[in-house]
Order: sequence, then C-alpha cells, then structure tokens
Amino acid sequence: MTATGDLARQKGRGGPSPAVIPVLIFAPCLIVYLVLFVWPQLSLLTTSAFDKGQLSGVHYVRFLGDEYYWELLGRTLLLGVCVTLITLVLGVPVAYVLARMQSRMAALLLILTTFPLLVSAVVRSFGWMVLFFRDGIVSNTLQALGLVDHPLQLMYTLTGVIIALAQVLLPLMVLTLHGVFKSIDPDLEFAAMSLGASPPLALCLVTLRLARSGIVAGSLLVFSLAISAFATPGLVGGARANVMATAIYEQTIEMLDWPFASTLATVLLVFVLALSLLYGAALDRRAKSESVA
Amino acid sequence: MTIDPRSPFGLLLTAICIIAFAYLILPILVVVVAPLGDTGYLAFPPKGFTLRWYAAALDDTRYLSGFLTSLQIGGAVALLSTIIGVLAAYGLSRYDFPGRSLIEALFLSPLILPTLVLAVSLSLFFTRTGLLTGTGRLVLAHIIVCTPYVIRVTLPVLRRFDRTLEEAAQNLGASPIQSFFLILLPVIKTGIIAGCVMAFITSFDEVVLALFLASPGEPTLPVIIYSAVQLGFEPTVAAVSGLLVILTCVFMVLYQILGVARQD
Repeated sequence: MTATGDLARQKGRGGPSPAVIPVLIFAPCLIVYLVLFVWPQLSLLTTSAFDKGQLSGVHYVRFLGDEYYWELLGRTLLLGVCVTLITLVLGVPVAYVLARMQSRMAALLLILTTFPLLVSAVVRSFGWMVLFFRDGIVSNTLQALGLVDHPLQLMYTLTGVIIALAQVLLPLMVLTLHGVFKSIDPDLEFAAMSLGASPPLALCLVTLRLARSGIVAGSLLVFSLAISAFATPGLVGGARANVMATAIYEQTIEMLDWPFASTLATVLLVFVLALSLLYGAALDRRAKSESVA
Repeated sequence: MTIDPRSPFGLLLTAICIIAFAYLILPILVVVVAPLGDTGYLAFPPKGFTLRWYAAALDDTRYLSGFLTSLQIGGAVALLSTIIGVLAAYGLSRYDFPGRSLIEALFLSPLILPTLVLAVSLSLFFTRTGLLTGTGRLVLAHIIVCTPYVIRVTLPVLRRFDRTLEEAAQNLGASPIQSFFLILLPVIKTGIIAGCVMAFITSFDEVVLALFLASPGEPTLPVIIYSAVQLGFEPTVAAVSGLLVILTCVFMVLYQILGVARQD
C-alpha cells in the first residue's frame, strides 16, 4: 500500500466511525416511513377494528350485513374485470407490434404511449366527459352507425367509467407487456412458422405462451389499480355509478365516519394486497422460466 | 417484423394499433381542441374558432394561484424525496446487513398501496395528531408516494456503479464524503434527475391525496379542476386543462432533447 493509501485510512479514522454512517444514511427515510406510513396504516386497521374503545367487529358486520355494500363491492370488481379485459385486448397487440418494430417509429410510439401517463387523470377523465355528454361525439357516432337508435347516455354510468378508466390504465399494460415481448426471441416465431404454423398460430403457441406470466402480471397490476382508482369514477361515474373508492371518499369527507371509512379502506386494501402477492408470484414464475430457458 | 404487414393478420394487428392509439390520444386532444370553439359550450369537434377561453384561463387568478401552489408543492416534494430516496438507495446498494431486503421491501411498498387508502389513513393520522397544517401535510403525504419512485429509479444505477472508482479516490486522499459528492454523484446524475422529474410530475398531477389533505385556502391545480368539472362544463376549465397538456408536451420534448444531447 502506498503512502497516500495510509493517509486515506488515517483520514477515515478521523471521521465518524463506520457503523454510524449507515445509520445516518437510513435515518431520514426510516423516520419518514415509520411516522407517515407504518403508523397511519396500523391506526387505520385499529380504527376499523374498535368500537367505543373496545375491540369489536361491528363495522365489518355492518359492511357484510348490508346488501348495498355487497353491490358496491360487486360493481367495483366488475369494473376491474372489464377494464383489465379492454386493456388486454388492445394492449397485447400494441405491445407486440411495438416490440417487433425495428424503426425509430417504435421509439416515437413508445413516447406517445407514455405521454398520457404524464397528464393528470383528472384532465383525461374530463376529456371523456366532453365526449360522453348528451349529443357528444361518441353517442352521435354510434347513432350514425346504426348501432344504437336513441341518444346514448354514458355519463354517470358504469360503462362510461369502464371506457374512461381503461384509457387511463392502458399505457401501463402496454409498457409492462412491451418489456415481456422484447425479451422473447423472434427467431422462435420464425422457427414455428418454418415448421408450418400460420403466423397467428405461431403467436399463440409460442409467443403468448412464453409471455403468459408477464400477461398475468400486467393484468393483476391493471386490475388492482382499477379497483382502487378514484378520480375517474368520481368524475365520470359520479354518485350514480358508485364504487368502493367513491364510497370511501364519501364516508371520510362527507360523513366523517372514520371507523367505517377505515373498514371500507381495509377491505379494499385486502383485495389489493392479495393481488400484489399473486403479482409477485407471477413475476417469480417468469424469472424462473427465463433462467431455465 | 415476423409478420407480413400486408397479410390479413398483419392488417388486423395494424388496425388494432390504430384504434388503440386513437383511443389513447382522443380524450387528451379533446381538452386541447374543444375550448377553441366559439359556441359558448364545450363540443367536440369544436365549431368556429376563438382564443377567448384560453385568454380567460390565463386571466383567472384562481387557476394561476392553483398552478403556483402545485408548482411549489411539486418542487418541495421532488427535492425532499430525492434527498431521502437517494440516501436510502445508496445505503441499500452499499451495505449488506441482516434484514436489508425487508427494509428495501418497506421502502418500495407504497407503490402497491392504493393512494386512496393512504389518503384515508393520513387524514386520520393528521386529524388525530394535529401534526402540521395545510400545505405541509400534503407535502409529507406526497413524499411517501414519490420516494419509492426515486429509490426504484436510482437503485439499479447505484448497483451498477463501479465501486473501485470510489476506492481509487479514497486512496488518493478523498474522504468518504468527498468521494460521494465528487465521484459517485456525477456518475449517477442521470438516474437522480430521472427520479426527481418523476417525483415532481407525480406530485404535480396527484389529485386523491390533494383532495383529502390540501388546505381549503390553497387548493392545488388538479383539485381546482376536479371541483370545477364536478360543478359544470365551463370552457375555461377545459382551456386550463388544455394549457396543462400543452405544457406537459413542451416539457416532454425538452426532456427528450436534453436527454438525447447528454447521451451524445
């Protein structure tokens, strides 16, 4: 070791001792998380599980015993399923085409896909409201095409929320699947086709099969974001197409019923946590199948 | 491309892509174009042409002060979450200790937590503890949402960083703190900037936490737009939204140009 090396070590000894530095580095983040994340989440759980200072399931019984909340939960899950299906039907082809494109066009289209994510969901939902309004372009087009015979009302309906929310979440599906398709070697498709498979069949048998767990992961991501989205259902759906998210807002801001709002939030959280565990499992499976290949 | 674009299947794929991009862009195009119509109500496609609503949007001090509030909150959140996020990511990439993966999972976990659930629990928390008032609450709430993005963007960059560079600097007499600022930071700068920009945009656009926590006297721009849209369809609100879209566009183009310039 040279003299400068010794100097460095001497200097190091003069500063704070090595064990203190990691503590100082983690301290700001840990303190912020413990106070503003862990503590509030725990108090959310306890608020939902206590009544007049006693441990009680009364708020959960209220939720489970009321048909209205079952309907609410059902509508929320239906919203999640429909939004996931739309983003899959559009997202799989788009992600595939973008992943196989060679030109600069692909980069440009990827930027175009990301752009909506930078625009607030409020602004995007507002755009849909203008389109959905009575005599809006959506209704007029469908009438002109003869698909419906009366002005179609999409504002304040679940269908309207589904159409708008699928647009809000589509970029996430495309970006997730783009990475998945990029990692699948196109030569595998060529091989399948040279063995006689038609292009659609080759895609289904080879590419989609290999992309399976990625597609599952993308779907779970979109589903959990769809059931907990607030801005789009709040604006496009309003009070007439109520979902869990808007009900939680109502209980918190309008009713000031903290225990029941916490209960609804906990129910939503349980669904999302269960889905993200499945999401993690899907990614694990994907990592394993890749390491085998 | 493995599929002939002129085959029926290729045409089908192309058609779906065109529909998907039209679907993605349509509602954004609407808020930019609809306020140009001079009918006095919002319609798409717009009839006639006027800049009246855009002028009205720029004139209205309510929107301007909302914009400034969002800008201030976004700036504070970007700065603070970048500092604590980069420190945490540095620690995670540098030190190996029992429970490290648990800490990493904790730091990233707000990414899977619905913002709405966080909004309820933080409202409850702030109401009960009486901690801070007004805008400070929203800044803290946004830090929890934005820090995981910073960590997720900078952690891979830090893990790829060649640590012998730092050791070389320390052998030449730099203290650990000097080598952090003089060697490490310049190398991972791009990752930090990306995390910081992401934190700013997330905070600037965010509406759920803002609806729950923003002080009624100083609403952020998304909250003002949300409330105005709920009340009615003023062309001015659409013009404000349109201005936001245009601003985002300009910002994105600048970021791409600067990013490409730096890579060259």
